[in-house]
Amino acid sequence: MTALTAAIANLKGGVGKSTTTVMLADGLAFYYGMNVLVIDLDPQANSSQMLLTERGVQAASDQGKGVHHVLASFMEGKTPSAAPFIMPNAVTLEELRRAEENDERLGWISSLPSHPHLRLRELSLEEEWYSRSGTPTTLSDALARFFREAFEPLLPLYDVILLDCPPHLSPLARAGLLLADAFITPTIADSVSTWGTKQFSDWVGKFIAPDLPGRNFVVVTRFRDTKYARSVASDLREIYLKDRWFGPTIPESIHVLNAMDRAAPDSYDTFRGKYAGVSSDVRRLAERFTDFMTQRTGGTWAKVRD
Amino acid sequence: MGESPGLTPVEYLDRFFDELRAEVRSNPVLAARLVKALGGNVVFEDAAKADVASPYALATGPKANFMSVFGAMKLGDIKKVLKENNLASRVDMNGKSAAQLVEMMYERAAMKVHERKSSMF
Repeated sequence: MTALTAAIANLKGGVGKSTTTVMLADGLAFYYGMNVLVIDLDPQANSSQMLLTERGVQAASDQGKGVHHVLASFMEGKTPSAAPFIMPNAVTLEELRRAEENDERLGWISSLPSHPHLRLRELSLEEEWYSRSGTPTTLSDALARFFREAFEPLLPLYDVILLDCPPHLSPLARAGLLLADAFITPTIADSVSTWGTKQFSDWVGKFIAPDLPGRNFVVVTRFRDTKYARSVASDLREIYLKDRWFGPTIPESIHVLNAMDRAAPDSYDTFRGKYAGVSSDVRRLAERFTDFMTQRTGGTWAKVRD
Repeated sequence: MGESPGLTPVEYLDRFFDELRAEVRSNPVLAARLVKALGGNVVFEDAAKADVASPYALATGPKANFMSVFGAMKLGDIKKVLKENNLASRVDMNGKSAAQLVEMMYERAAMKVHERKSSMF
């Protein structure tokens, strides 16, 4: 079995990409015992912060872990390799940590984190590349080849690789999209997000994945239960993106914000303690995405926890 | 502003301040917000501290000040502060004494302040 690589992406900012990434990683690891790798391609490093804390992101960088170090190895012409740059433990859930302690790993999360330095590293790479008559397209293609080769030996180790992509189309972001087997599109039930999602969907369909509809999993996030929001969400499903897979609607909730603020690098919480009022939404997200994975890969996953 | 017939300006404003005073007495959170808005420095009673004391604000100053506020709190209030400020989960707090929890609160609040405060200041 080889990992499904899914890009969590939308050119519209603020639609919950990083939150969806972390909820999905937690849900798949907790309920299905999946081995999940989260790759953060966004220099804002939000999902890295949510998994590792600010201190943890900095510590990872200091230890030579992170996407910006992978980019450095690309710039130095080294043999593609990703394993040395991965943080093997990005688990925040007490149940997963305890199972590991008892030598019965039932789900795990690793991280190839980002760091704000990533954008600086990208800029210097782009300047160097363009000074040698390269173009954004040739750079994103070269990065995609490098990453693909670097991750090839790791694919059998994971069930799913989640690529948290930034809300822009830098060469690195485009490389991430080129690596993806599937595309997870978080969006909000309002007019600006709907239009932004349409723009992104059209671009990906044209330049990255002509068969996008069957590979696209849409999640309506930060949902406020108003007549207007219900109408927009319904139009998304029935009209604008009617040929896509839809995950559950994730409600706007203070619990989600709290759940993403890890107290310290050595802080753990139970699944229900972390997600409280949105626990059942995270469970449904994991269930629905596992159905999507089964349809994409033919693999099956049984629940290890209720 | 129109005049209220039969009341002097002082009596008129007194009614407003009486209402405000009554609310501040029963609502320490509002009291803390008003004091903060006015830029004042006041001491709250122990019972109100769990509602109004900010571990992040106090972690920017000497540890002794931090300890004088939170070290005097009851276990339940310490846990409440930790939980409401996202400084510890239930799992993190399990089996720890009040003194251990306050120490953890200080370390984690100081760490977050250090990580989040702009180095431009």
